Amino acid sequence: MKFLIAIKDTSNESKNILKIGATIAKGVSADISLVFVGKKSSAILEGDVNMARRSLTEWNILHPGLEVLEWAYKTILEMGFASKIEGGFDPKNLIEEKRRIRMVLPQSSGHKINLILREGELMSELSHEVDNHKYELAIINRPRRKRITHQLIQFINTSVFVVGNFDPKWNYKILLCVDDSRATKRAIVFGTQVAKQFNAEIRVLTVSKTVKFGKGYQNAHKWAEKYLKHMKMSYSLSKLSGNPTDVFVNEAGENHIIIMGKAKGNEFLKYFKGSKPIHTAQKANCPVLIVN
Amino acid sequence: MNNNLNRALLLWIQQKRWLLFVALLGFIFYHFLPYPQNVSQAGYRTLILGVMVIVLIIKEPVPLPAVALLIVILEVAFGIAPVSEVANSFMNDSVFFIMGSLMMAVAIVQQGLDTRLALGIIKITGNKVTNIIFGFTAISALLSSFVGEHTVVAMMLPVGLSLVKNSSQVRKIPNLTVLILFSIAYGATIGSIGTPSGGARNAIMIEYWKSITDNAITLSYPQWIIMAYPMVIIGILTCPILLKMAFKPECSQLDTAIRKLKVQVAHKGKIKGKELLTIGIFIIVFFAWVMLNEQFGMGIIAIAGAFLYMATGLVEWKDISQHTNWGVILLFAGAISLGVQMKNAGTAEWIGNSIISMSSGLIDQIPMIPYVINITLTMIMSNLMSSSGTVAVLGPITLNMGGHPLFMGMTTSIASAFGYFSAVAAPACMIIYSSGLVKVADFLRAGWRMGLASFITLLLLYKLYWPLVIQFTNFK
Repeated sequence: MKFLIAIKDTSNESKNILKIGATIAKGVSADISLVFVGKKSSAILEGDVNMARRSLTEWNILHPGLEVLEWAYKTILEMGFASKIEGGFDPKNLIEEKRRIRMVLPQSSGHKINLILREGELMSELSHEVDNHKYELAIINRPRRKRITHQLIQFINTSVFVVGNFDPKWNYKILLCVDDSRATKRAIVFGTQVAKQFNAEIRVLTVSKTVKFGKGYQNAHKWAEKYLKHMKMSYSLSKLSGNPTDVFVNEAGENHIIIMGKAKGNEFLKYFKGSKPIHTAQKANCPVLIVN
Repeated sequence: MNNNLNRALLLWIQQKRWLLFVALLGFIFYHFLPYPQNVSQAGYRTLILGVMVIVLIIKEPVPLPAVALLIVILEVAFGIAPVSEVANSFMNDSVFFIMGSLMMAVAIVQQGLDTRLALGIIKITGNKVTNIIFGFTAISALLSSFVGEHTVVAMMLPVGLSLVKNSSQVRKIPNLTVLILFSIAYGATIGSIGTPSGGARNAIMIEYWKSITDNAITLSYPQWIIMAYPMVIIGILTCPILLKMAFKPECSQLDTAIRKLKVQVAHKGKIKGKELLTIGIFIIVFFAWVMLNEQFGMGIIAIAGAFLYMATGLVEWKDISQHTNWGVILLFAGAISLGVQMKNAGTAEWIGNSIISMSSGLIDQIPMIPYVINITLTMIMSNLMSSSGTVAVLGPITLNMGGHPLFMGMTTSIASAFGYFSAVAAPACMIIYSSGLVKVADFLRAGWRMGLASFITLLLLYKLYWPLVIQFTNFK
């Protein structure tokens, strides 16, 4: 398995997503790619900017993105994700690949880490990275602008973990939102793995807009119960009526990680109207994992 | 599968790649519409092509070299000019100059002269912040006048950023950081207007004077200096004061940081033969620009300089081919070709007249108005699409907006350096912005002061100084 963690700076928020990513990745023995997406200079200035950057490198002044990646690499090693190796981070070991720059790191015991530098628009670059290098999960900080959250969820073609309002003390339960979407079963399986990793209690929640629950909803709910019983997890079940997004957000509060399947349906409609997972990720006061 | 296709299509829409097709469809649509009476059919088509090119340069839905190729294709395909004429306008002395100076920049920057520069600056300025800011502005400006803005930026920014890093280790200095970085960025921009070799835009304007104006104006290297250098000197004197008004430095001395910088560059030892040769070749090129410019043209001399750097083994062809931005050369070639066609087809004159006719009543009373419009237009454009791109696209129009073509051209060229408000106008601004140490708000905070001061200085120069020097010099 391969996870992507998008790092934007050296803030506590970035430290939090590194912690989440490292913990989940350890649990499922996944490799991690730390990706920094920086601003791209206009093409007309690109040559001049690159020349100045080469000069700066001679003075050991790194590209701002490399400084962030160096920090992220050291932080994730301190978290015990992999063992430290002398001379691991070396700007001389950068190789240019299609639309990205990758640092070749010495093989370490433990899990494999990749450091990737990209320049351009966040959504386009992350989407290109995922499409070309096949990741099972992308972990991102929740952007300030709702429209960008929408775009990231819709266009990154893998499971997306949107981390907002994260509590570093890890007082989280899992809120497994189950419905008739195609990805619901995968969400249940992935949610169970995450819950195991964090020793968290699971609450299965199915929400219908009306009092009546359709067959698809009922079957999914039953399947979740059966699976969790089989996996010997500690769980509770509930079915509620109301606007699904509002119910998910209210029930989750600040102390749950919401896990749900990616919505089915027409991509054009999703682009203009959004979807349950998109609205939930935009409104929730806690991290939201949307499984593809 | 179907949803994957939809997703890919939406992603494509989201990335604004469709802009190219909209621009092309717009071009074809307008091509069949009736055109204004005062402009020829070819002129009208050139106008549409010009608008399309500006949109494509600003929004970049396709790589810029592709825009250059599209200009050539559409010029021929839509009958704006025959293929031989398009080919002629595509390659000229200013394109040679851009090519040569970019290649020379690669050679000069590679020699590591920046450490020598650092030592020199420290010796002159000492450790007082006021002196350092003035020193950075002055040296960046003086150097960029001759070796070009891009070369100076590559040599000066490491010195400035090292100083910032050394100082930040002692205490937090956000204002001083911005002050140091802006003094280099704005210094290099101010200096680049001082001579024809300061930037690609100056060479482009010289080409337009030659090929577009009715009397085929030529301006020699020293004549340009006489006209533009007072602007550089005033800029050097005012820029540090204006920057210090915008950002009050946290300390007045930088003892530790300067000491660390001295240690950093001390290992270089005495100046080496290669470094002397690099400087020597540039001095030869400079004197050739001053003395032989009219016989050979600036471009051929720049190309000769690049040849000398390669012939003496100071730089390998591999490095030049790898690090020269060939795409930009192609783009400027295309933009100049479009500019020439704008003149030939009468488009430039028509747009210029249209702009001026809007304020004709006012112009009768205040003859300065075309210059005010020129500076404003150029300043806005350079903050949107880079300074050189602005001159390439706007030059033919401003030369036809009334006023003395020499003064109008000079005004466009100088005002294109007023890209103080955004990161896209100049490479130095882009780098300091992407370093994360300078914010968009900082550009506005410093930019409005610099913009206003430069605007007023340029108008004063036009009104009081240029009429004076034109009497004493021998402009053709």
